[in-house]
Amino acid sequence: MAIKYDPPTSSAKQLEWLKFRFWLVASLTLVSVAATAHNISDANADFVQGLEGSAIVPFMYLGAKHMVTGYDHLLYLLGVVFFLRRMKDVLLYVSLFTLGHSITLMIGVLVELSVNAYLIDTIIGLSVAYKAFENINGFKQVFGVQLDARAAVFIFGLFHGLGLATKLQDLSLSAESLVTNMLSFNVGVEMGQAIALAAIVVVLTQWRRHTNFHGHAFIANTMLMCSGFVLAGYQFANYLWA
Amino acid sequence: MNKYTPDTGALETVSPDTSNTKIWLSTAAALIVAGLILVTLILPAEFNRDPLGVGQMLGLMGLSESSTRAIETVRKEDSGFHEDTVSFQLLPFEFVEYKYQMNQDSAVLYSWTTTDTVSYDFHGEPVDGPEGYAESFSIGKAKQESGAFTAPFTGIHGWFWENRGTGTVTVTLRTAGFYTETLEFRDGHIKKEVLSDEP
Repeated sequence: MAIKYDPPTSSAKQLEWLKFRFWLVASLTLVSVAATAHNISDANADFVQGLEGSAIVPFMYLGAKHMVTGYDHLLYLLGVVFFLRRMKDVLLYVSLFTLGHSITLMIGVLVELSVNAYLIDTIIGLSVAYKAFENINGFKQVFGVQLDARAAVFIFGLFHGLGLATKLQDLSLSAESLVTNMLSFNVGVEMGQAIALAAIVVVLTQWRRHTNFHGHAFIANTMLMCSGFVLAGYQFANYLWA
Repeated sequence: MNKYTPDTGALETVSPDTSNTKIWLSTAAALIVAGLILVTLILPAEFNRDPLGVGQMLGLMGLSESSTRAIETVRKEDSGFHEDTVSFQLLPFEFVEYKYQMNQDSAVLYSWTTTDTVSYDFHGEPVDGPEGYAESFSIGKAKQESGAFTAPFTGIHGWFWENRGTGTVTVTLRTAGFYTETLEFRDGHIKKEVLSDEP
């Protein structure tokens, strides 16, 4: 790729860096305020369980909250869109992810699929590491083979959906309005995803303007891979001992 | 496997001339740092496990247990403090219910023993609950049970004991705590005693 830029003067460089830092701090603050908990809180669960019949807005809210505060989903999305410059590609990859997680969310809830939430969350953690390894060109460069990135995002979408299904099943939905509430939750998930994605894309767009974006990108994806391993290890420890 | 077509936009990654060594180093660093974070911080702090002893050094051990102790340590009471010891003789298939009128969040220490196994149901009925509504706290068959109880709601809280054996059984209950009335339900009669606020 040809990088074309005028050698920036040191003050222009500084301004750029300051601008970038502003965006980074602003978005990190937003994320850390939101990402205090990952499981649907007990109070929320109690409220929803006390409801009879369909509750469209509460379930939409819970779906959106789960997505916006779920750092595993957020980190995976960050990995997926990291190198997607064109909005068309962002839409394609995110649609594949959405398709994948919607399928398993609905099937999982409808057939009352019983999977261990911690094992699923372990795989979700590994999906973050996988995407980061793909982003640093690991599969192609080291192994010479790489699963089509679009197939990978769809397949991991299926696993993320199973994770969503286990969270929704924790709420022990009443049978009568299962479908309405599940669809509301799913719609909420997509809304939360759109909100989170907008923030991520804004930050990435700013970041790409930085002259040393590609240098940062390698380090950032290494850190992303590390976060994925930590998440996976944490969830696996939960599976073993929680 | 490698099927990139221009129309979907070849997936960009880091610059394609990144060396294998760099990728391996990056992956190894990610794994090692992740492992260190897990073993030295997360396992001690979240799971109280400390394979390297670093968690102890950092004072992280026990962090995950403190959350269960987050309840109030001291809760002051306005109503009187009472102690009570009662005994009941139960013939085969006889039963008795003995309860205390308690305010929400008031506490009582209890211990009951019997001469032989009885069926019991420790439960409470909220003062404003529907007729016949009760919430059970502990149900089973035993010869004794002891514990500390904090009333989840204002109402009458106490025990139902039934002798399902063939011999006579004596149940003895001892309590100490904050309650305002005692109620005994036996043979269709209610024996109620209002306790004075002064102990």
